[in-house]
Amino acid sequence: MATKRLMAQFRRGDASAVRALYDRYGRAIFSIAFRALGDRSLAEEAVQLTFLQAWRAAGRFDVERDPAPWLYAIARRVAVDLHRRERRHDSNHLEPEVAVLPPSFEGLWEAWEVRAALDKLSDDERAVMRAIHFLGLTHGEAAERLGIPVGTVKSRSYRAHRRMAELLAHLQEATA
Amino acid sequence: MNCEEVRVAYLAGDADRSAALHVEGCAACRSRIEDLGRAGALLDDPALWEEPAPELQGQVVGLISAGRREEAKPWLRRPLAAIGVAAVALTILGFGILAQLANPDWTAEMPGTPEAPMAMSTVSGWNTDTGTRMLIEVEGLEPAPEGFFYEVWLSEGPVHISAGTFTGPGEVELSSGVRRADFPRLWVTLEPIDEDESPSGVTVLDTGA
Repeated sequence: MATKRLMAQFRRGDASAVRALYDRYGRAIFSIAFRALGDRSLAEEAVQLTFLQAWRAAGRFDVERDPAPWLYAIARRVAVDLHRRERRHDSNHLEPEVAVLPPSFEGLWEAWEVRAALDKLSDDERAVMRAIHFLGLTHGEAAERLGIPVGTVKSRSYRAHRRMAELLAHLQEATA
Repeated sequence: MNCEEVRVAYLAGDADRSAALHVEGCAACRSRIEDLGRAGALLDDPALWEEPAPELQGQVVGLISAGRREEAKPWLRRPLAAIGVAAVALTILGFGILAQLANPDWTAEMPGTPEAPMAMSTVSGWNTDTGTRMLIEVEGLEPAPEGFFYEVWLSEGPVHISAGTFTGPGEVELSSGVRRADFPRLWVTLEPIDEDESPSGVTVLDTGA
């Protein structure tokens, strides 16, 4: 679905548009919320609140724009609010409120972009990347785990790394 | 070895002497291998690989559906201006139901079966003292033909409890005297108008057992 049409339908609360927008951005929102808050159930709550707030604010969203930075900004704000809420509920609530956020909130936009790029890979490529980078397997171990020839793992890994390098070239230039 | 073979070998960590010699004399490979390594390093954050629960999407859809219904009720959007109305409603409906309008206790997606592949339904449910209230939004389902109606069922194994009927796509509000926690399967059949009170027609929507 074209983004402009998708956002117009999302604004009306159309269930298929909500599902489509979730398909595109739900995992990226979850990733940054999990990274910032370090808790699965809080991250899932953040995803729900982000979509609800986005829907409520969708009337003011310019459908010509890319929704990613807009959704990111909402998600980050939601994560900050949840962090502060949890902190108030924490046993150390008598400590004075401080404006400084923990380091887990740093580099969230970069994390969003990496996760969004990851979601653009095919399922097969992502499975190989997960085996290598998340599970820490060698190409041979990944082949065994995924039940595919090691040559296939190598070619998928190469293709996936090349695609990630292209999609994230701007981040790499900034950090190089 | 050509450039691509060399890059694949470096990425896999099994570059041999001939690959090393190639890289020594190939600036393009040196640059590309560095890019691939940097791209890989960006993926080492474990948080990136966490996946939300599969049912989260349905919960998001249900939440926005509930919000849309709430917005459609102007007296809920303007609580101060509607205190009188709310007071009357509280007397009639009880405190619980009004509170429940905003936040469902559960949501579910009821996808179309092969008999109705274009159909989709989102259900928001509230647990009440006497059972369950449900708001069901149905899309992509043909209106029931003459002499038929759609019937919603809550089931646990072979026990089926009817939650009510409707005739076509749109929003339907139904109640049942049982709780979904006890009857987890939610499904819809197309029933002929007859005296048979069991689910005997074609299943068109189904959460599955």
